[in-house]
Amino acid sequence: MKIRAFSKTYNGKTVLKTEDMFFGKGKIYAVIGANGSGKSTFAKIISAIEKADDGRSVTDGESIGYMSQKSFPFRMSVKENVMLKVKDETLADTLMEWLEIKHLSEHNAKGLSGGETARMALARILMEKYDMVIFDEPCASMDMKSTLLSEEIIRDYCGDKECVVILITHSLSQAKRVADEIIFINEGRIVEQGETQKILENPEKEETREFIRFYGI
Amino acid sequence: MKKFMTLLLALVMSVGMFTACSKPAEEKVEETTTVTEEAAVDLTILKEADDKMLNTYTVIAVDPEAPFTDADGNAVSDVAVNTAGADALIQWLLLEDTAALIAAYGEEEYGNTLFYNLEGAPVYAGEIAPATEETKTIRLSTTTSVKDSGLLGAILPVFEEAYGYTVEVQSAGTGKAIAAAKYGNADLILVHSKSQEEAFVEEGFGRVLEGFDAERLSFIYNYFVLCGPSSDPAGVKDAATVLDAFAAIAEGKYIFISRGDGSGTHTKEISLWSADLGITAEPESFASYTEWYTSANAGMGACLVMAEEMEGYILTDKATFLTFVANNGIM
Amino acid sequence: MQTAFMKAISLIMTADASLIDILITTAKTSITSSLIALIIGVPLGILLGAGAFKGRGILVMLNRTLMGMPPVVCGLLFYMLFSGVGPFRHLRLLFTVEVMILAQTVLITPIVAGNMESFVSGISELIKETAKGLGLGRIKTFYLIMNESVYQIFSAYLLAFARAIAEVGAVSMVGGAIAWKTNVMTTAIMQYTNMGDFALGIALGIILMAISLLVNIVLYVLQRRLSR
Repeated sequence: MKIRAFSKTYNGKTVLKTEDMFFGKGKIYAVIGANGSGKSTFAKIISAIEKADDGRSVTDGESIGYMSQKSFPFRMSVKENVMLKVKDETLADTLMEWLEIKHLSEHNAKGLSGGETARMALARILMEKYDMVIFDEPCASMDMKSTLLSEEIIRDYCGDKECVVILITHSLSQAKRVADEIIFINEGRIVEQGETQKILENPEKEETREFIRFYGI
Repeated sequence: MKKFMTLLLALVMSVGMFTACSKPAEEKVEETTTVTEEAAVDLTILKEADDKMLNTYTVIAVDPEAPFTDADGNAVSDVAVNTAGADALIQWLLLEDTAALIAAYGEEEYGNTLFYNLEGAPVYAGEIAPATEETKTIRLSTTTSVKDSGLLGAILPVFEEAYGYTVEVQSAGTGKAIAAAKYGNADLILVHSKSQEEAFVEEGFGRVLEGFDAERLSFIYNYFVLCGPSSDPAGVKDAATVLDAFAAIAEGKYIFISRGDGSGTHTKEISLWSADLGITAEPESFASYTEWYTSANAGMGACLVMAEEMEGYILTDKATFLTFVANNGIM
Repeated sequence: MQTAFMKAISLIMTADASLIDILITTAKTSITSSLIALIIGVPLGILLGAGAFKGRGILVMLNRTLMGMPPVVCGLLFYMLFSGVGPFRHLRLLFTVEVMILAQTVLITPIVAGNMESFVSGISELIKETAKGLGLGRIKTFYLIMNESVYQIFSAYLLAFARAIAEVGAVSMVGGAIAWKTNVMTTAIMQYTNMGDFALGIALGIILMAISLLVNIVLYVLQRRLSR
């Protein structure tokens, strides 16, 4: 799957500029980088939440799902939230069961904790079969147990549906656990892309090496 | 649920408060009559029935062929005016029976005649056409004093029942009442300002009814009254004429409340001051009299309250004054 | 004040026919105009608050300006339009309840829209992002924003109703305060005040406030129920 080169400018300042990129089906790509490096912008432009400078789509019309960092719990039951897009009750029950929120299914989503909301949002996005799904820090407000559970479910989904998964994360250990490849973004540029092990242990660029040393795994 | 209970509690409490408030009030009903005498209005009529304070009411039918113009001054030719309805109401107002009805008004409620029949006023003795589907709604534009005195409320139902019309009364200051007719929003006007009536007719808005010889049909009158504190420090009561009375107020610099709003009452009041005072509607003209001359720029009722509070003199129409007294001047 | 309270209570107890007529006209006018304002103002406010189109900023500013329109100016405008010499004279609408409703609707729709706009613009970014991320369409997104705004819609309605029922400038201008036809609570209060009958004016004021309280209670309960 191809993502065309694009750039994004806010108030005359270019915050992100990329070359053409290619992604393989059934693979998980972790996008890492410091705060403000352009990770979230990257996610939003690919998922068409925001427009690139030239206003054109960067994909060829593939279906793309996007789970925001601050997923919104709608004023309805958890189950209704999960089934917003796809009205498949069996699938919804299964996903909620896996994510351990089945017991909350009739509760109003507004009353959930941060971690529960994030798991509900995850279930909501996994209902549909997309060509590509972008997760922006899906586990930011989850505890370790939920994080590991979610990672497993994301991996399964990716393999089963032969879908491209892009995972925006600030955690190198999460990248190591789930990603096939790592994309390192720094100061609005894509510095390096390669297999997870290679990037983490032996990156080509000095700034990648510095970043990994600074943040640790 | 908890919130619901709180709400219910609040409701019960407020209802309780209401009943608590109303109970002693009901018990006091008998007392009020005695209290009334103590709290009664001090303001009294000191000067009335002076020819200078004559207040004549005139009815004029609106001419559908009048030179109506819209807000931009462009001529408008097809203004809807209910001429048949206006004819019927004017004819009825000029019946001898109606004259008797008007003369009797106020005797019962206030023990006082509020309107008198003008001597030599035009009289109608013919038939009056009953309402049809097209003519049944009559738009009467009048001044507040006519409506607020309760006169129209007392006599118009008699007309409506007898002939099947509905009279829609809009009341406003004399200027606005006439303006409403010029904007095509009235079938007839009932006002009390000779100069403005004549201007209205001169501009071509008046219509002569069949069998009558003029547009302006003056038929009833009453008097403005000069009121003041019962102690009457200016000695207005003993003044020979109303002009002397006004002169005495100015001389002694006794508080005087002026409407100051360009109403008919205000216009009349200005005409009663001695010429060398130079009082006009312009604020500059009384700038040096502010210690006693109070320009309120308010309605008649509000001005009466002010006069009562400040123990001042005031020129008012008799009907509003009597309503004020009937209500004990209490807020 | 006690006299006024007594008068208010005896007015209600005796159920004076003219008072009932005034109450019905008041209810008809303010409920209809505030409901129409709600039907137009809520979608308009959501569009202004969540829409992404050119000229949105100008429209928001224009709406905020209209929110400050003095009622008497609005009344004057409709008076001129529907006068016997005005452009809409053939409709014969001046001094009717219909034109009072029309004038009030124009007066309060911007208030509903502005109220919704400021609320929706605060939540719309997240909702739009989440909905777009799921691939939901515009209509569904609009519905979701509306669903999130239920509590606010009640508040906006109360504001509109309060303004409509308390407003006197526009209704007295276009309605003419004609007895048995277009006289409402506020114009009646004005008339009694001009006549010097302050107690009766206050008595009507007390009844007006009581109705307002009643409507508030009913809507408060509904609001709690529906927006939970």
